[in-house]
Amino acid sequence: MERHQNRYNSILLITLLKYYFLKETRTPRNNVVVHRRRKSKSYRLSYRSGLGAADSRLGWSPALTARRLNTSRKAAGISNIAERVDPGQLALLVKTEWQLSYVTPLHQFRHTQLKSYARQLSAFIAAGKQQGLAVEVEGLQTTFRVSFSLVQGMTQSDEDAESVLVQIHSKRLFARQDEPQKPVWSGWLTCINGNPDYLRALPKDFVCLPLFGCSGADGLSALVKSWFQQSFDCCFGLLEISHTSLQWLMALWTNCHAESGIQHLKMIWTLPAAPPLQVTYTVDPEDAWELWSSVRKGKGGGGGGEEEEEAGENYIDIEEVTSFMQGLKSHFYRHFRLDLSAGSLNQVSTALGSAKYSGRMKISNSRYMITTLTLLTECALLKMPI
Amino acid sequence: MLTDFTQLEAGTPVNGNDEVERNMVLVEKLAYSKGLSPEAISIMLEFAMSLRMGTSLCARVLKCLIPATLVPQEAVVRAVVWLSVGKIPVSTQILFIKWVLTVFDMIDAKDQLRAVYGFIFNFVTEENLCPFICHLLYLLTRKESVVSCSMLILFPQGRQPFLLSLLSLYKVFCPEMVMLSIPSRIKSGFRNHNMPWKSALIAVQKGAGPHVAAGISPASTTIKTNPRKRVWGFSKEAQTEPSSCGKVVPLVQLHSFAQLLENMHRIELPAQMGSLLGSSLALQYLDCVQDESALLRLNFWLGYALHEEFLFCGDRGASQNSQEALPFLDRLLSTQHFLQEGFSCSEAFLYKFLNVWDGSLLRPQILGLLSNIPVVPSAQIRQLLFEPLMQLFFTSSLFFKCGLMECLNNMLLKWLTWHSVYALEDDLDISLNSHTSINMTLSGFKDSVMELVDFVGRLASLGLQLEGCHSLLLSFVLDFYETVCDMFMKYGLPLVVMPPPGVFYPALFATDPVSVDRLAYIMHRYKVNFTSAKSQEELTKAFHISRQMVREFNHYIIVMVNCLWNSKMFQLDMGLSLGEDLLLKSKVPQYWASFDLVHHPAFMSYAVDFHHRDMDLNSIKVRGHF
Repeated sequence: MERHQNRYNSILLITLLKYYFLKETRTPRNNVVVHRRRKSKSYRLSYRSGLGAADSRLGWSPALTARRLNTSRKAAGISNIAERVDPGQLALLVKTEWQLSYVTPLHQFRHTQLKSYARQLSAFIAAGKQQGLAVEVEGLQTTFRVSFSLVQGMTQSDEDAESVLVQIHSKRLFARQDEPQKPVWSGWLTCINGNPDYLRALPKDFVCLPLFGCSGADGLSALVKSWFQQSFDCCFGLLEISHTSLQWLMALWTNCHAESGIQHLKMIWTLPAAPPLQVTYTVDPEDAWELWSSVRKGKGGGGGGEEEEEAGENYIDIEEVTSFMQGLKSHFYRHFRLDLSAGSLNQVSTALGSAKYSGRMKISNSRYMITTLTLLTECALLKMPI
Repeated sequence: MLTDFTQLEAGTPVNGNDEVERNMVLVEKLAYSKGLSPEAISIMLEFAMSLRMGTSLCARVLKCLIPATLVPQEAVVRAVVWLSVGKIPVSTQILFIKWVLTVFDMIDAKDQLRAVYGFIFNFVTEENLCPFICHLLYLLTRKESVVSCSMLILFPQGRQPFLLSLLSLYKVFCPEMVMLSIPSRIKSGFRNHNMPWKSALIAVQKGAGPHVAAGISPASTTIKTNPRKRVWGFSKEAQTEPSSCGKVVPLVQLHSFAQLLENMHRIELPAQMGSLLGSSLALQYLDCVQDESALLRLNFWLGYALHEEFLFCGDRGASQNSQEALPFLDRLLSTQHFLQEGFSCSEAFLYKFLNVWDGSLLRPQILGLLSNIPVVPSAQIRQLLFEPLMQLFFTSSLFFKCGLMECLNNMLLKWLTWHSVYALEDDLDISLNSHTSINMTLSGFKDSVMELVDFVGRLASLGLQLEGCHSLLLSFVLDFYETVCDMFMKYGLPLVVMPPPGVFYPALFATDPVSVDRLAYIMHRYKVNFTSAKSQEELTKAFHISRQMVREFNHYIIVMVNCLWNSKMFQLDMGLSLGEDLLLKSKVPQYWASFDLVHHPAFMSYAVDFHHRDMDLNSIKVRGHF
């Protein structure tokens, strides 16, 4: 339980680091009666600590200056996601490479109006296409049919908003009725295990779906993003998967080897030589698993006899991840006399999925989707401007 | 001048009419320099399209109809009606439609134009006008318009691209009504028809400048595909359209404060809050109404723009940043200045940015934003603000040091102003609103101010040493202490803080007279503050002056008087302990008088000036004789 406590303490501490204060009207010092309007609102933002509604003047902000990625997270357990999410939708989400972005909260987005959104978006795309904006799609297409669907069952907490899947199908001119329509573009918005204090602090008419993934033509992606921007006053920005997050993914995936084999652990590094040297470092799964277990045993073994031991096995700390990484790097150094810390990690992939620094991500196995998406949601929330 | 045009009778001859010619030249001049106001557009358009003075002037007027801000839609609708009267030559009709297409985005509202959609649609049959009419219809079409028009008219016309574009748009809205099959790619779509006015429009809009205007300057709505550029699209035209029932007024349509007051209760905010940043009217409204969601949206967009441009920008060079970022930051600064308050997102951004800033990129703007930060609780001020600033201060040039001093001075001024406006009557530590987690009470505020003043004192002491007591830096430091010395009298804050020795002595021994004079002034103000505080203390026992501060003040005064007046420097307990042997070694004659008013190096210029005057000592003696 101590680890739980630490986690929540750290979140609380981080959130409490914000410093907004109330101002009340006062009568002037010399007691001259001035009929000043009693403002119950603060001079500046007062911080919503989740205890109750606060007032704001020029905006609002939760604690964010000191937000950091969680230093310990739950190891990927087998989640019964296949039972909770519609398998058709699940099939659409896995095995595709997505380009990730972060999204600021959407204003007045209603999960009940998805059909209307679909219609608006298709009109928008049609208008955009007519105006000659870059929508080069192969083949003989006439119009695009857009569908918005709710992906239910993915949320992990009460604060998470339901995920939304957007697909754009092309309607061929002479298509037969029964011909299956492959989507030419798909995208999704999701929020998995988002920081509950942040989510609770948002006003009611905002929906926070900070993680956005898309795959398909760039022109269509741009159109969809600008439609969202116009309709919900949100902003899209590139989400890069940082070095730390890539390490986390590596560790989390390797941790699952016992349950479903990872088949290989492949890393792609770029070393700043002239010309830049690209190193593809593939580790045999058994070796990776051995290294990982030894790291885990070293860290987690000390907690014998405490009640947290059971819980402790489920939690991975950042130190274990860095030791794991350090082990891999030193092994490489021993063989090739090249220190990989001088370079940058660009890509990590296993049979469970792959992730690139540029923000491209693929999930190959739906069982571990939740953990991966939790980590990515956290990354996206860290990029929120306030 | 414009009234002349309204009063011109029909049938007045054009040729040889000097007065009309002169007026036309004036109008053209105005149009090409600043653009015509909406009323002027109205009058001139009516004049032209009614053909009051024949057809030749009509084209000339149309060519010079450059709007400065907006085009009133009534004028356009009236002109369209004139179009149907039938007397205007075809080329001029085409010119008119081209003009409408060019200024389409600047027409203030489109509901009346949409009301005459069917009327405009009838012009499709005219072969010459057809392409332009189709383009205009394309821009105006909504779902309701499609239903009301007959499709049959379009069929025999052929398959020109403009027709097909219009038809395909109809098909999007009402697929069941368009039986025609439309090819997937319509090659040319609609061409741009703005040639005669394009350069003039650009010139006028550029000249309008980035100042905070009462209305909202419209801009083109093309979607910029460059993702970086999109960040700056804050002047995009707001996306709401007026509702037909007139119950709700979009904020974009209000252009004066009177209008704002009239429609206060039924204002509709634009779809994108970022577009309001340049409009003082909109900001006043937001500030007054305090709609949390609206402000939050604005903060999200603003924060996103700041983060993307400065924090997430990767390896892009600084030069690229400054060119685009500069006007944006200037606008943000003027907005904050207008509102007398900072945005929370800029505060959040600054705390992150200060850690990575090099101290020279956009320095005035960043320091300006920094001075708008509200009072930071003393528990966090060190980590959030002081640490990064210390690093920047000690590794930067003299000018940065001065700039930072000024910034911190402004910050203190703003905090004190805030306090004096909302000051507590009593200084008891009451947490008045218990439902928020952190409050700022008077003592908390005093702590923060104390921390800030302390911090600046330390920075100043070390900075002056590093820069060899440079007079420019000393001047900024003394500015700060001029603010500090009057905290009680001017701002009602029961706090008096003395400058550290590292500031006092360099000022006392400065080589320019202004610094010494200012120091004397500051000490005088301290005395006034102390005496007033003492009398207050006796009266109300409201606050306790720190005895330590009083002792320091007394000590400084003694030193100053001894030094300047009594010629008793380096004697008594001064706090500057220089051994006598050292002083003797310096071979300065009468070292105890070396800094008094007569011998002080700072007043040397006055001494020289005195001697240069024509002082004939003999003449004085002679006079004394009598």
